[in-house]
Amino acid sequence: MRRSLAISGGAHALVILWALLGNVFRPDPPEFEVADISVISEAEFAAMTEAARAPKVQDQVEAPTLAPEPVPAPEPVPEPEPVPAPTPEPEPTPEPEAAPEPIPEPAPEPTPEPAVVPEPQPVPEPQPVPEPLPPALEEVPQVLAPVTAPRPKPRPAPRVAAEPVIAPAPDVAEAETRQDAAEPEAVAPEIVEETQEATAPPETATEIVTEAEEPASAPASSMRPKTRPRDIAQAQETPQPEAPAAAAADKPAAATPAEKPAAKPATQSAEVKEAVDDAIAEALAGGGAPTQGAAPSGPPLTRGEQDALRVAVQRCWLVDVGSEAASVTVTVAMDMEPNGRVVSSSLKLLSSSGGSGAASEAAFQAARRAILRCQGDTGYTLPSDKYEQWKRIEMTFNPDEMRLR
Amino acid sequence: MKQLMALCLALLAVVALPAASQAQNGPLRIEITEGTIEPMAYAVPDFVAETPGASQYAQQLARVVADDLSGTGLFREIPREAHISRVTSFEAPVQFADWRAINALVLLTGSVAEQGGRITVKFRVWDVFSGTELGQGMQFAATADGWRRLSHKVADQVYTRLTGESGYFDSRVVFVSESGPKDQRAKRLAIMDYDGANVQYLTDSRSIVLAPRFSPSGDRVLYTSYETGEPRIHVLNVGSVRSQILQNGGGVMSFAPRFSPDGSRVVYSVTSGSNTDIYLMELASGATRQLTFTPSIETAPSFSPDGSRIVFESDRSGTQQLYIMSAAGGEATRISFGQGRYGTPVWSPRGDLIAFTKQLSGRFHIGVMRTDGSEERLLTASPLDEGPTWAPNGRVIMFSRETLGAQGTSSLYSVDVAGRKLTRVRTPDGASDPAWGPLQ
Repeated sequence: MRRSLAISGGAHALVILWALLGNVFRPDPPEFEVADISVISEAEFAAMTEAARAPKVQDQVEAPTLAPEPVPAPEPVPEPEPVPAPTPEPEPTPEPEAAPEPIPEPAPEPTPEPAVVPEPQPVPEPQPVPEPLPPALEEVPQVLAPVTAPRPKPRPAPRVAAEPVIAPAPDVAEAETRQDAAEPEAVAPEIVEETQEATAPPETATEIVTEAEEPASAPASSMRPKTRPRDIAQAQETPQPEAPAAAAADKPAAATPAEKPAAKPATQSAEVKEAVDDAIAEALAGGGAPTQGAAPSGPPLTRGEQDALRVAVQRCWLVDVGSEAASVTVTVAMDMEPNGRVVSSSLKLLSSSGGSGAASEAAFQAARRAILRCQGDTGYTLPSDKYEQWKRIEMTFNPDEMRLR
Repeated sequence: MKQLMALCLALLAVVALPAASQAQNGPLRIEITEGTIEPMAYAVPDFVAETPGASQYAQQLARVVADDLSGTGLFREIPREAHISRVTSFEAPVQFADWRAINALVLLTGSVAEQGGRITVKFRVWDVFSGTELGQGMQFAATADGWRRLSHKVADQVYTRLTGESGYFDSRVVFVSESGPKDQRAKRLAIMDYDGANVQYLTDSRSIVLAPRFSPSGDRVLYTSYETGEPRIHVLNVGSVRSQILQNGGGVMSFAPRFSPDGSRVVYSVTSGSNTDIYLMELASGATRQLTFTPSIETAPSFSPDGSRIVFESDRSGTQQLYIMSAAGGEATRISFGQGRYGTPVWSPRGDLIAFTKQLSGRFHIGVMRTDGSEERLLTASPLDEGPTWAPNGRVIMFSRETLGAQGTSSLYSVDVAGRKLTRVRTPDGASDPAWGPLQ
């Protein structure tokens, strides 16, 4: 007992000595960086900020060629480059020598307008007037647009689908999936790599936009320019209000209007459901649940596998929303080959509801076209080890939600 | 507690596993609820000329058919330059793989023969991806100068086979042709194909004419003329191009006439003093009956397709709104409640929608709404749009659009009922007040 008391006392004494002699309680504040500052004129500051913004302009110019061109050194005050309007089909009328418009004008009526309005070219800021600046405490006008602006309508696009797609660049081929262009490796000339053409899905909006609903290309009112802060140092310390970014986040741009508030919860619940389905599928497979009669054996398709098939088919399902056929729900039966292809002769209409005979026939034709067209040359991507589960499929095409667009 | 949880889990397993197993019995079931709204891609190679004299029509026929189909906004033609296969014989088997390669969903093949001043057109419609023919081959014959109608007939058939609905291409539109400056504009009745071709004038320009309306059979046209100095309703026989004043027992000023769906009655407006009311006339007997009795302006009546109801505009509530009443008159129900002023309602031939002109914030719109006033949708917007008229199948609306200013002109436009396809109808002069006739 006494021994342990001595050890404890000694140890405490050592700690106290170390604390006193080791400068643990020294009053010196932690080091901080000291930087020299100098007062510069407003003109110098304006020139400096222009130079700092210059590279951003270059970022927006998309080089149409596959090989990246060396970016020219940013000029202190660069002249805005003419950015070609991303029209889906390059019209012969625009001439390359056309004077660049600082503000993009809306495309003429017959031409589908680009889904994304290119950012206006930076207009050189007006030179500051060498007059006494307003007091620094003057209220800075807040951004009004995000608070009061209504949710923007999507721009009209020739295609209306569940997911919006911005207009592809004019030199990009149209395809169902997006892929970046690839080019042969320059360092290995002996290996000939096949060049891959850049493709992008066609421009898509999420709902039909009529002429009356078409949003204007320019805002009706714009934010009053913020007054220049009196103190440059304060300006550097004061965080810039990220109003445009916030606005973009709160209000999606015209090209990405498919804001689905319930998307995330739906995704989460889908994930949970998929996990449950997977677990049940594994349990069934492992447990060797007895099958009844001609029921397919093996694990069932997971929710994700079924969704992949659903998405693949719905891309090709064209719905004529104004027709009577858009009121008809049809169920189509088909047999599948093990390679994922549909036995086209097996396609048949199982049932239909909601319209006349002619409308049902039109709805069945649309469903059949969707199924056959989107299988491509290689068939649908389905797990071959679960062929027993999908060798016969009954697909129901329900256009109820499409009619509401 | 643990025992209770184990019991629950066991129960869950007993219930869930058989249910999951049951769900996998039988075929895999998938429900598709999301599709794509875009024009259906189709290909129309030039028709095959079966006789030397038919070669001049082979391309023209195919072009008019393609213009008809693409003009609906429902179909998109794949340019001929992209075609891989060449159709050289109407009877030759179709190389579906070549048409699949260019993503043509539908292929239309045809042939044309000319003999003795008559031309015969044959055509087939193919579903490319299933490799089957849609319907059966068909042929039409007509005199050579009617080759455009043959094209419209073919296009109507293709439209029907692809949509399950009747077409509207072989139809005519009566309208007011306008020429001259705005303050001295000459107006005369004219008739044309739905696409602006084959314009013929029905009246001269000595007096102002307004608001022509086709009879259901397309053989007569009602219109309002100032020939006598006051607006009076005239009936014009399209075949003989003779017109006569519709004698009615109301006031002097009568206008805004429209036939009933069976063509036996005419509903119109009569102004007496500062009051305008709606009247109905039995054409066979000439008997008239007043349908509205309010001290306000009721005009622009239009029958429902079954003839049982009439939609009209009225300012009885203080602003110009739309109302529906029985064709026998009586209490009217207001159906428009949005902002702005509503006018010139026209009931769709399908009976499901009412087209109207709406004035809101200094702009004019052509819009549609359900017959109960719900689901209002504005399809157009301009400084001055007015006078909607329905295509025979109720899928397209034609209207007139006027540009402002002293040199402003009026022209005809068509828009599909979804508002996706807005097209200007080419006419030789200015045009207004269109009225779409029936399918011929």
